[in-house]
Amino acid sequence: MAKAEHKVLGTNMPRMGGVERVVGKGIYGIDLNLPDALCGGVLRSAHAHAKIVSIDTSAAKAIPGVHAVVTAADAPDVRYGRSYIDRYILAKDKVRYTGDPVAAVAAENQALVKEALGKIKVTYEPLPVVVDTEEAIKESAPTLHEDMPLPKNLPEGFQVKNVCGYTGVNIGDAEAAMADADVVVDEVYETRMIHPQYLEPRVAAARPEEDGRITVWTNAQAPFPVRTEVASLTGQPLNSVRVLSTDIGGGFGGKGSGVTSSAGLEPICALLAMTAKRPVMIVMDKAEETISTTIRSGAKIWIKSGVKKDGTLVARQGKVLYDAGGYSGFGNQAGGRCTQMVGGWYRLPNIHMDGLTVYTNKQVCGPVRGPGGPQATFAMESHMDSIAAELGMDPIEFRLKNVPAKGDGIVGVPKLRDSSLPETLNTAKEKIGWGKVKLGKNQGIGFATGAWIEGSGPGGGAVVKVNEDGSATVHIGKVDFGTAARFGIPMIVAEELGIPTGDVTVLNVDTDASPWDAGTVGSRSMLVSGNAVKLAAEDAREQILRMAAATLEASPEDLEIVDKQIQVKGAPSRSVSMASVCTAAHNEIGDVIGRGYFDSKASQVHEREQGSSQPFTTHAALVEVDTDTGNVTVLKYVCVHDVGFVVHPRAVEGQIEGAAAMSLGQALCEQVVHDSEGRTLNPTFVDYLMPTINMLPPIETVLVSGYPGAGPYGTKGAGEIGSVPPMACIANAIYNATGVRVRRLPLSPENVLRALREAGK
Amino acid sequence: MDYFEPKTVSEALSLLDQHGEQAEVIAGGTDVMVDIKYKDEPGCLVNIKRIPDLNAIRESNGGVHIGPLATIHELEESDIVRERLPLLWQAAHQFASLQIRNTATIGGNICRASPSGETLAPLLVLEAEAEVTFSDGARTEPFGAFFKGPGQTSLGSRGLLTGISVPFPAAGNHAVYLKHAVRGPMDIAMVGVAVMATANADKSALDDVRVGLGAVAPTPIRAPKTEALVSGKALDAALLKEAGACSASESSPITDQRSSGEYRGWIVDALTRRGLAQCWQALTGKEVA
Amino acid sequence: MSLEITLTVNGKTHTAALEPSTALVDFLRDTLGYKGVKLCCNTGECGACTIIMDGKPVNSCVVLGADAAGADLVTVEGIADGDALHPVQQAFIDTGAVQCGYCTPGFIVSLKALLDRTKNPTAEEVEEAISGNICRCTGYTKIYEAVDLAAKQMS
Repeated sequence: MAKAEHKVLGTNMPRMGGVERVVGKGIYGIDLNLPDALCGGVLRSAHAHAKIVSIDTSAAKAIPGVHAVVTAADAPDVRYGRSYIDRYILAKDKVRYTGDPVAAVAAENQALVKEALGKIKVTYEPLPVVVDTEEAIKESAPTLHEDMPLPKNLPEGFQVKNVCGYTGVNIGDAEAAMADADVVVDEVYETRMIHPQYLEPRVAAARPEEDGRITVWTNAQAPFPVRTEVASLTGQPLNSVRVLSTDIGGGFGGKGSGVTSSAGLEPICALLAMTAKRPVMIVMDKAEETISTTIRSGAKIWIKSGVKKDGTLVARQGKVLYDAGGYSGFGNQAGGRCTQMVGGWYRLPNIHMDGLTVYTNKQVCGPVRGPGGPQATFAMESHMDSIAAELGMDPIEFRLKNVPAKGDGIVGVPKLRDSSLPETLNTAKEKIGWGKVKLGKNQGIGFATGAWIEGSGPGGGAVVKVNEDGSATVHIGKVDFGTAARFGIPMIVAEELGIPTGDVTVLNVDTDASPWDAGTVGSRSMLVSGNAVKLAAEDAREQILRMAAATLEASPEDLEIVDKQIQVKGAPSRSVSMASVCTAAHNEIGDVIGRGYFDSKASQVHEREQGSSQPFTTHAALVEVDTDTGNVTVLKYVCVHDVGFVVHPRAVEGQIEGAAAMSLGQALCEQVVHDSEGRTLNPTFVDYLMPTINMLPPIETVLVSGYPGAGPYGTKGAGEIGSVPPMACIANAIYNATGVRVRRLPLSPENVLRALREAGK
Repeated sequence: MDYFEPKTVSEALSLLDQHGEQAEVIAGGTDVMVDIKYKDEPGCLVNIKRIPDLNAIRESNGGVHIGPLATIHELEESDIVRERLPLLWQAAHQFASLQIRNTATIGGNICRASPSGETLAPLLVLEAEAEVTFSDGARTEPFGAFFKGPGQTSLGSRGLLTGISVPFPAAGNHAVYLKHAVRGPMDIAMVGVAVMATANADKSALDDVRVGLGAVAPTPIRAPKTEALVSGKALDAALLKEAGACSASESSPITDQRSSGEYRGWIVDALTRRGLAQCWQALTGKEVA
Repeated sequence: MSLEITLTVNGKTHTAALEPSTALVDFLRDTLGYKGVKLCCNTGECGACTIIMDGKPVNSCVVLGADAAGADLVTVEGIADGDALHPVQQAFIDTGAVQCGYCTPGFIVSLKALLDRTKNPTAEEVEEAISGNICRCTGYTKIYEAVDLAAKQMS
């Protein structure tokens, strides 16, 4: 819990690495300068679905200056994947989406790479293409993976194919309760694919070392999973692979899940380097990224709810078709989460959901910011407004009628320790001026709530080394891209050790030296590394105080560290500097090295027993709809969040505002557009429309307090949940403005005007 | 790839004669650089940026002469454009980001001949003329004849656009350029509509109504039936509705990744109405009844 | 064929060779080592590669390298005065507008150009100056605050 005596926590310290970033020091993956490095490039399938009949690389290999040309035949016969191990780093026998890697080249310069890629002759036998999930599960659809079985947990009675994941939710008796309901609302929603479009392209570099090892540089969010996968996919022992993380220019989960997210870029690069016996660096082009790296999938969601006349929710049934793309990728995990979240986070005793994750000939699903959550919430929270409208109830009142309270369970959480959902609803209502602000013509207000359950996941460690001058060097397995690693983490060390934040250095990940970690994913930086770093700093402090105790002739418990001086509590004149104690440590314990670890298992047991505190949120939007053109202008946007204790307010607000903006983009204009043959029609930023500053108002963020979470000092994750409510929030505001419900994203001028015309408005 | 920086128009023209289809002319580069990156490199690049005096903007013969190398931002900054050619100024002001406006040239926008080119519908409405130069001589032609299709102009592979003449519109005119896009200036227009008109002496009717449409046909076009329908009449709600529908019927939009053809037709209708209504109000001081 | 050009970057004169099709962003990054100029969209849409060329902000990814011959360029590396940050740079740090920081150089350059033009920019001028710079991390809220703070400190 936040303590009044915190000196550092809760302030807005300048982020570590801020100066380098504003003066343009070359620190990112793309800025790597490896002496003697070759340029690498990847040949990508031009077909969305085809058999590879043959690949002839001889002409490419014959070009002077080309040092390596590799195909599946040059790599071990090993596949990768998460729930389904269904993918080679370079396509073998078949390609399954436009952009699927087929071959790779390393050459003296980029022009030669381009020339060589053009000279690789791939003979394809095109196969029928399926891009729509509803079509893909039909018997008549082409089969994407001949050797992949249907999910083991798929209940009987499903006549489907191309399914690579099933999630069921069964609570109470939804069918019986639905039959008893006074009012039933039954709807279908659809969301489209977006690309995370972090601005720094994916980069991989690899260098074979003299000792037979290989060093890999990556701007991935998960360096340790990259190490595991590079080792297995290139046939190296794990200890022969060293992965170094660079600073990262945005990720949003798109650089998240090991090599899955990058479509195998790191192992492909390693394979080229091993073949060429030279360092190789691959920098992807942004248009190449849009067609080939992982995305936030589209989903089709059927949702039906039964309510009593007084607004009490009694039943929900539904189905989700979640698009995995050409390979399973993160599809089963995201589709499963989506299915659960369509079940909602309200008090609802009877739920039945079926969620299918489906192969299609499109880009592969990745763990993009809140995987599954924004899609589910677009449906679920739009649907809540539809029910309220059907009942003639105020949408806030309807939600408040059904919010969970302390002790209740929601889908995925057996017991809540508290519930901030009502407070976020009431605060959002007040901040947007619901019922008070005078709305102009075609203006409307919408709300949507959100949740993002901190899933169970692996723990992770931290090492805090205190140097002989009292400064600290921190090793964690998480990386910095504007996340906790270089905002909040140094502050925790500074707080616990009594040293200035500027004396704390958080290192990039080196898999040879850093503690293992699953990566900067899942809103878990603070939960995992925050807890681990706090324990490591406490461990270091104990070591320091124990040594100082002898010098100061006091017991360690009576000592404190203030401004790098160790002093006796209440008698500050009896003190010794940290520098002298840490220098003396060389003759006593060698080095002050604190170690900490986030014990994921213990945390889960604790949360189960005590109940869990979830990071609920409510967003509110004021929009104006141009009923002649369908244009939607967001005039005001408010995000009310419970993220528990706040270590660095601006960092947390920034995460929320950025996540909200990404989903506002998806709400208003963003989508990856495909034709029926699976070709991406808008690969470049010319037509892939992300929000620019002129289309968003400044976002107002309000943080409610008093609901401590499982992170250090009671923090909760904040990286993803901001992306959960916006699409429903805007759809609800459009409904409030026009009386028209748009159930298909994006809420683009065309889709909005079409809906208005269909409604006769 | 060969590369040339001609210092005169005639030098440039002889390079184009020599290299024919192999040559690509580059000025600001905002389109050509993207082509070089994503398509095949041209056989040779003829960079005309350093030909002197091709970026002048000056009053000339009852109008404005604009050099093709004038950047979009130079148009915005030009007093004579802002004061005398507000329609063109509005298009320039909604033309992409400031960075692009500082680089892209009006000549490049014209010669690219993209149906959605921001300045094109306004130039048609302003009845501007292109000064087209070949190695065997120069001629002027109205932009209505200049655009042949997407990416196609009467320059072919051997001509250069060496000037743009825009006559001053009639005194008392009002003009608006309406761009339909999600992110305003930042997007390529889904539809662009330029409307210009004057009022008759007692402000009871619109005269000389001109409507130009962008991004809804193989080239930017005028909407002559709509112009004839409205010219000489008082604008009321019924006429406005008829004019919008007429304008939409004069367009032939395609479906692409930005929007469907059907939707573009609806927007032509809406923006034509909006443009006419704004002109009516500005010219007569009255709302459309 | 290869060309040789001479240009000034942040007050320093360089003479170097380049291929005629080379984009200015690649020449600045790969040949002259100005890695603060960020490569991203290659289409002039995101503003990460923004530099000031003869006083005007431009996207260096859609400028021909050869067009920089004789030009006076300012990149993000040339905006601080020695160790003293420009007010815009400091404001980006102070307001938390630097998350991943990849778009930051482009924003800093666009805003430096704006504040060189006017010390008290209106909201419209700010919007115009940075609508061509995409930030994917912040949702722009902290960037609005940074601009306000910098303008206050400069006036």
